[in-house]
Amino acid sequence: MGTQSARNRLGASRALESRPVGFLGRVRAVTVDADGVTARAPRETVMDMLVDGRRVYSFWLHRDGSRVGGRVGGRVGIRWRVPWPRTLQEFLDGTARFTVVVHETGEQVFDDEVTLGPGSGRIEIVNRNGQPLSLDKSWRRVVTFDTRTAQNIEPLMHAIEVVLAALRDAGIEAFLAYGTLLGAVREGKLLGHDSDADLGYVSRHTHPVDVIRESFRLQRALIGLGYRITRYSALAFKVDVDEGDGVVRGLDVFGGFLMDGHLHLMGEIRVPFEESWIFPLGTTTLEGRTFPAPADPDRLLTATYGPWRTPDPAFKFAPPATTVRRLNGWFRGLRVGRARWDRIYSRVLKGMPEPSPFIHWVASIEGALGTYVDVGCGRGADAIFMGERGEPSLGLDFQPQAFAAAERETADNGLVNYLTMNLLEIRQVLSVGAILARRPGRTVITARHLVDTTKKPARDQLWRMSRMMLSGEAGGRLYLEFLSNPGSDGYAGQHRVRRRRPAKIVAELEAAGGTVVHREKLAVSTAPGASKVCRLIVEWRPGHG
Amino acid sequence: MAEGRDRMVNRLRATRAGEYLDLRRRVRRLEAEVQECRALNIRLAELTDIVTELLLPVAARDEEKLAELLEKYRQSV
Repeated sequence: MGTQSARNRLGASRALESRPVGFLGRVRAVTVDADGVTARAPRETVMDMLVDGRRVYSFWLHRDGSRVGGRVGGRVGIRWRVPWPRTLQEFLDGTARFTVVVHETGEQVFDDEVTLGPGSGRIEIVNRNGQPLSLDKSWRRVVTFDTRTAQNIEPLMHAIEVVLAALRDAGIEAFLAYGTLLGAVREGKLLGHDSDADLGYVSRHTHPVDVIRESFRLQRALIGLGYRITRYSALAFKVDVDEGDGVVRGLDVFGGFLMDGHLHLMGEIRVPFEESWIFPLGTTTLEGRTFPAPADPDRLLTATYGPWRTPDPAFKFAPPATTVRRLNGWFRGLRVGRARWDRIYSRVLKGMPEPSPFIHWVASIEGALGTYVDVGCGRGADAIFMGERGEPSLGLDFQPQAFAAAERETADNGLVNYLTMNLLEIRQVLSVGAILARRPGRTVITARHLVDTTKKPARDQLWRMSRMMLSGEAGGRLYLEFLSNPGSDGYAGQHRVRRRRPAKIVAELEAAGGTVVHREKLAVSTAPGASKVCRLIVEWRPGHG
Repeated sequence: MAEGRDRMVNRLRATRAGEYLDLRRRVRRLEAEVQECRALNIRLAELTDIVTELLLPVAARDEEKLAELLEKYRQSV
């Protein structure tokens, strides 16, 4: 499966019924050009696009396309056009042999050399290391299994075994799930178009609170074994596995439980189910190794994919709204905004930014601190600046890639440190807050452009953490800067922020026991149409904690 | 004036269309409230986790162990 957001997509996908692609279902008038693929087909059809003989992506002609009129070969009629995936566009400059194949029958409906863009060379769809790229079902770029050798697959098989063993030690009987189970049961191998491995388990608990607690316990056990864990939701996480050739691949572990006669399995399933269809676990074979599987894998695969015996590499989950609401309500909401920041920090970031004017202002007021904390520190330049002034500094951000360079730069500097912390995970907020509250001396917290990228649930945790750290005897202050008046200078877009009304933020702070002791607005530059930011200084008086 | 408006609103609500719109609004609100309740599950699990993993051992009041425990907990979440 892909990321949580892709899983949540309630796209207009219909279940692919297995209908014969006979005369009536024929795909005709296929063209490939700068606009994408255009074809006439009265019935929904799954098609593969091959570039120079290698499958790059698959699509559903109707679901992923839009109707276009016009005349082709003397015939007038409705055709469907599927534009080029955005993730592919940067490669499409030059010439290649494009082949369009009806997935179900293998029939080639287009096969020709096509030149796209002004480029004169061959089109190559590869990553920086020269590895061939494909698009997964959400059209994200992946190094998929069909371009990888047995030698590449071996470490993943090993990792599946290790993680399954670790889960077993923690009392959890996990099994292959989703695409990995499908590949094992249908073909005995990893699906060529898949890009990760999925494990699932069904808890013996039957209440959301208990299964969440169990998931937390599992996370602790795996961290104890030395794995890096990224939590998707309160009931699913990813275990990073280093495959040895520089490729880090995620092993997704999806929790599930039985309640009210239904199986609930993150992140898409809620169906009437019987315990005997899961337990006692059976086995299945994947790439020549034996792995645990549900007692009746057909039941789980049918619940997941419908008619799973017919391959459909463009399959997208479309669970009913009631399922999405339940799983969202119980388990999700911990990663709001994360995908966007992952994207931003996945690019190559050059050089360290200058310390902000804001931190210069803070430093002109504060000094000789016990602790300086920058919440939402991003690249971490302000923490380095305060560290250089001799202040013990800590940068916190929920996206660890953000401060990775700063962390390397300050590795030998005991004064500057960085930690990953997600304001939406209370366990993290309370434990970091408790550690910092115990440090001696005055504490200064800054949050620059944090309250204008987060919503109230995250801000409430920022206020809670500030109160924990600042209401002690040694005291301290919270300094905030956020966009209050967007101008015509593009500042909001550059900083990826949205306007916040100072009165609203002040009201939130006061409701959380804070006292605003300073409030000002200032233009971010002298240019006409400059945006304005609001600066606040907030205290939590002793006893107001 | 406000009284007149209220009377008008009440009369509109009493029509079939008004009842229908009113029900839609109430269902929407109920759905939002159900989601709020569901969200308590995570909150409760997180707090229980902290109580069992941290607060119970903290009650032992061993300063060195406490600092170690806090750091270990932070790393595990």
